[in-house]
Order: sequence, then structure tokens, then C-alpha cells
Amino acid sequence: MKKLSVAVAVCAVLASSYTSAEVRINGFASIVGGKSLDSDSTLYGYDDDITFKNESKFALQLSADLQEKLTATAQIIARGEDDFDATFEWAYVTYEYSDELQFSAGKMRVPFYKYSDFLDVGYAYRWVRPPKSVYGIPFSTYEGVSVVYSSQLGDWDSTLQGFYGAFDGDIDVFGSELPAELNNLGGINWSLSYDWFSARAAYIVADTSISSNDSGLIGLVSVLSDSGLTNTANDLITEEDKTSFVGVGFSVDYENFLFDAEYTQFEVEDSILPEQSQYYASVGYRIDSVIVHFTYENNDDKHDSSRFNTIESIPTLNSAVNGALEGLRAQSNVYTIGARYDFHPSAAFKIDFSRFEDDITDTETDVVAVGVDLVF
Amino acid sequence: MKKIILASALSLCSINAFAEVAVIVNSSNTSALDADTIKKIYLGKAKSFSNGNKVNPVNQDGTPVTDEFNDKVVGKSSSQLNAYWSKLVFTGKGTPPEKLASDQAVIDFVAANGDAIGYIDSAKVSDKVKVIATF
Repeated sequence: MKKLSVAVAVCAVLASSYTSAEVRINGFASIVGGKSLDSDSTLYGYDDDITFKNESKFALQLSADLQEKLTATAQIIARGEDDFDATFEWAYVTYEYSDELQFSAGKMRVPFYKYSDFLDVGYAYRWVRPPKSVYGIPFSTYEGVSVVYSSQLGDWDSTLQGFYGAFDGDIDVFGSELPAELNNLGGINWSLSYDWFSARAAYIVADTSISSNDSGLIGLVSVLSDSGLTNTANDLITEEDKTSFVGVGFSVDYENFLFDAEYTQFEVEDSILPEQSQYYASVGYRIDSVIVHFTYENNDDKHDSSRFNTIESIPTLNSAVNGALEGLRAQSNVYTIGARYDFHPSAAFKIDFSRFEDDITDTETDVVAVGVDLVF
Repeated sequence: MKKIILASALSLCSINAFAEVAVIVNSSNTSALDADTIKKIYLGKAKSFSNGNKVNPVNQDGTPVTDEFNDKVVGKSSSQLNAYWSKLVFTGKGTPPEKLASDQAVIDFVAANGDAIGYIDSAKVSDKVKVIATF
């Protein structure tokens, strides 16, 4: 409801400004078809039947300069994975105080990653999808405020962003859609760029609550509470738990050589969610209108050893808690090789082959995806 | 068909090789601009002239002089520039310069707007506007 009202407000502003201000309409689209090459495992939503729905999307952005220095923007996206139901992805108002200082309020993107701001704009990057091991946080927007300060430090362009707000909605946690709330969601994001080099760092905190629907876990928590082990029980639920996120990365675009690397670390303290650390490194080479690229990704989710064997006096419960904590252990690598071909000034053709290796189950899954990204 | 495309591509190249780009401002504009500042204006990184006035840049739409300007001054291909602007447009961080259809349209726009900057084929320069740099 809150989300809807922000969107409706921005839309109302856009509509009412129609007669007095110029409304710009931009859009982008991705049409992606893909399939898993393995009959018994899925990856990125693909099974072994070819589908064009899973990663395809269409978006329209309306932007109106209301009066001097004030702009209203709304971006509406229809995603294939949501049956192309259109939703407001962004809806915000920006006040440009000066060339250097911008204030925004509304529904916007959380600056977790380098490509966060244009996650959906496939045309803006070389892969079919950004490296999922790193780009894995199951929500991407918040409602709140943001301030951006852009400046020059010698020959370097510096952009410093601070934001504060909240997220409230259903998120995908290890395969199930669960209601979640992140309050006091705030952080800073600093990026520096110099011609062919750029680097960034982000630090984000929140208080996270996620309702679990796992009957095994719910049962275990109630047995622990009934046995007076309240602390152990609380450490298995995710209720207003301190959350921290760190992301660092750098990019090189030197002549025809491209390189990107990002490292992220994410922790919801005293919860069932394991500590997560991820990174990727990607090289690309540009030959006229073609970019060929190779990317390695690594993901490691695990609980600290101090979380295990905390109630050794009760062996059955102890091993049940250990099992619950170990159950979310994840360790995986992804190798992607692909190409992008700019066959038109506003459209790019892409093909990516990805191999996902699960080190826990010792299985691998291959996915091929082919797509066209457009901006208009 | 392929041959025709190739032939026209070659002829575009040969025009490009001989064209010179003139960057123009309104005759009343007294600001000095170096190549780096012009590049920053066309990447949306510089937004004001040295006298503090807001700058109002215009592009051309797919003309040979556009490719020449993008290559010599901005240092990016049209695809790279599109990707660059898509990052700014869809995050509310910037709007690319408006595209006009021809050298004459740019001259008329710059002559009529005190804060405008544009680029044209240097052979088309008229005394209605001031040339501040050639590439």
C-alpha cells in the first residue's frame, strides 16, 4: 500500500505537470531466451525447455521537469518472470540544489553494487545478466530519501551518496517467497572515476525481519523456547536483527580492454541466515562492435564456528540446531563466457554460456542464454 | 545488398576523413572552453560555462559530423555513448543533449540561444555564430 501510494503520488505529479512541463519518455527492453543444458537441475529460472519469458522485460520511464531544479521520474517495468505485470520500479522526485548537490525522495534503488542503478538496463553492461553470485540480494529498491554530492578531486570525478529509508515486501530467501521488512535501512556509497578507471565502496546497514514458513525451523524454535533456551531460539529467527553489507569494486575500460571486479560481504547477525561473501572478476575485449568476455564468480555462505555446539548438554537439540545452521551452507563457483554485438546504435545482441558448480552437492548446471537489449 | 552497404560505409569513412568539426557558441558568449571541458559538457559532467551560466548543448542526429565529433572530442563510439547515457537517463542522473537534424539546425539554435553550444562541419560555419574550437 505504501509503495502504491508513492507511485501514485509521483504519477499524479507527472500527470498534473503535463500541460506546464516537458515530459520525457525513455524506455528499454530485453528479450532473452535460454535453457538449462541439464534435465534435472535449474539455474537462473531456466530448466531444459527453452523459454523467452524468464529474463525478458520491458520498461518505460516518464520524467518531467516541474519547474526550475525539480524533476519527477517514474519507471514502470513489466517482467516476464512476473507474467509481464507492470510495476513501479522507481518513482521519485529530485531537487537539484546545485550542479554538485541533489536531493531525491521516493522509491529508488539501494546502491548495493556498481551496476545497481541500472540492473534492469541490459544495454548498459556486457553480460546477459550481471554476475548473480554477487548480484544476489533478493530485493533492490527502498522507499526513502537520498542525497548525492558530485565533485572534482583534481582529475578525478567523485560521487558521494547517502541514503535512508525502509523496504517492506516479499523476498526470495533460498527458494521461498517470504514476507520481509528492513527498517532503518541506510548507508553511504562513494565512487571515484578517472577517465578509464573507476572504483567504488558501499557500506549499508539495516534492521532485518523475515518471517519463516519452514515448519521444521518453526518447530525447533518453539521446542528451544519451551526448554528455556530463549537465546538459542532467538538466534534462529530473523527479527529486527542488525544487518550489515559491505561492497567494494573497481572497473577498467582502457582502450579495448575491459576489467570489472566486485567483492561483497553480507551478514544478518544472530539469525538463521549465514554470513555471505561473494566476488567476481570479469575480463572483456572489444573488437569494433563486438565484446567477448569471461567471468569467474565465487559464493560462500556459512555460519561462524562459534554458532555451533552451543547447547552440548542437550545432544538432540544441539545436533538439531547444528543441522539447521549447516542446512543453509552454500559454496559455489560460476564460469561465464559470452559475447555482445552492437549491431545497431540502440540495440545489442548477446550470448552467454554459464556453468554453475555447487561445491556442497558436487553438481554442475549449464545454462545458455541469448538476448537482444534495446534502449529507446 | 551487402556490397551497397559496404560501399556506402566506405564513402562515409572517406567523408569523415576530410571533415573538420567546428564547435560553436552564441556570438555573445565570451567564455573560453578547452577540449576537455567540451568533452565534459557532452558527457553531462560539466553543466555551466566559466561565467556560471547553465550550458545548453545540442547534438546532431546520426550525421557524419556526429561520428567525427564523438570520435575526436568525446572519445567514444555511438554505441558506447548510448550505453553511457542509458546509465544516467534511467537513474535520473542526467539527460543527453537534444539531437538536431542538420548543421543548419544547430547554427540556428546556437544563434538564437545565448547559453547554447553545438558542433558543425567546419565548411558550414556562418558569421551568425562564434567558433571556439576546431578538431
